[in-house]
Amino acid sequence: MHELSMAQGIFTTVMDTAESNDATEVTKVIIEVGRLAMINPEQISFLLDVLKENTIAEDADFVINEIPVEIECQECDYKGIVSLDGLDHYAPIIKCPKCETPRILILNGKDIIVKNIVIEKPDEDE
Amino acid sequence: MHKVASVEVEKNIMKANEAIAERNKKLLEDNNIYCVDFVGAIGSGKTSLIEDIIENVDENIGVVAGDVISKFDAERIKSHDVPVVGLNTGKECHLDAHLVEHSLEDMPLDKIDCLFIENVGNLICPVDFALGSHMRVVVVSVTEGDDTVEKHPLIFQSADLIIINKIDLAEAVGADTNKMVADAKGLNPNVKIITSSLKEGKGLDDIIEAIKEQKPENL
Repeated sequence: MHELSMAQGIFTTVMDTAESNDATEVTKVIIEVGRLAMINPEQISFLLDVLKENTIAEDADFVINEIPVEIECQECDYKGIVSLDGLDHYAPIIKCPKCETPRILILNGKDIIVKNIVIEKPDEDE
Repeated sequence: MHKVASVEVEKNIMKANEAIAERNKKLLEDNNIYCVDFVGAIGSGKTSLIEDIIENVDENIGVVAGDVISKFDAERIKSHDVPVVGLNTGKECHLDAHLVEHSLEDMPLDKIDCLFIENVGNLICPVDFALGSHMRVVVVSVTEGDDTVEKHPLIFQSADLIIINKIDLAEAVGADTNKMVADAKGLNPNVKIITSSLKEGKGLDDIIEAIKEQKPENL
């Protein structure tokens, strides 16, 4: 199950960052998932809900933003977003939207990035 | 009192795998080892191909055989008297660089010239997980249906060599081999596409030659 290792990678990153910033609580996590990252955001959400139980991120809101696919065509001059609407998310057929060649370079949309986290930490004066 | 802070993380989960893959590649190159990974669906012929190559080349080959829970592939390859590390992914559907890194600890790197990594049977999940190899071979068989190539563009675009296997069965299963070749060419025009029937020994010499061709000069 592909999503579990991804969710664990995300969660470890969150907890490592929280720890190195002396967080007492994690309240929000922003994650970016590319449409070509081959993972299902709903499954990631479900797994994160399980992973966060009994941790300082228990009440955190994990926000997953899907990132569109950006390509550079190797045959015509198209460079930009490709819509995947109406296609099967898990095996998208990526073609240049202008000339329809599959000879394209994928510039964006394959990554899974933990963008930022919001934490609570003790006031330094205390 | 507590204060609230927003912390920029900007950590790419996929890049962590790539970093380990680079480490694997460097370790292999330091040991003068050429590494090829084999990807394809369950039953496409990956293990048979690896067995056939072992029997037909002089190089000392080591194999990392990935499988979900079984050791069947590893045992099959072991019978050819080469070092094999069986790698079970548990419930995971693909190998990643971290798993391969650990398997290399058990591989006698000083005794091999070439490392083959057999991925878990899957045409989807392995796409984005670099392992540290120099070349990726994608094996597809006609029995999977002649629309298999066009349905899985990303894996074929990631290939350095595409093998369309079991062509002797094309007629029996109503598959159009030429369509599969054309689809593969359309997706990845720069790589060699070889049609084979490994059961009959057809195509094996071309495959071995194509794999040798891509070996980096310094290895």
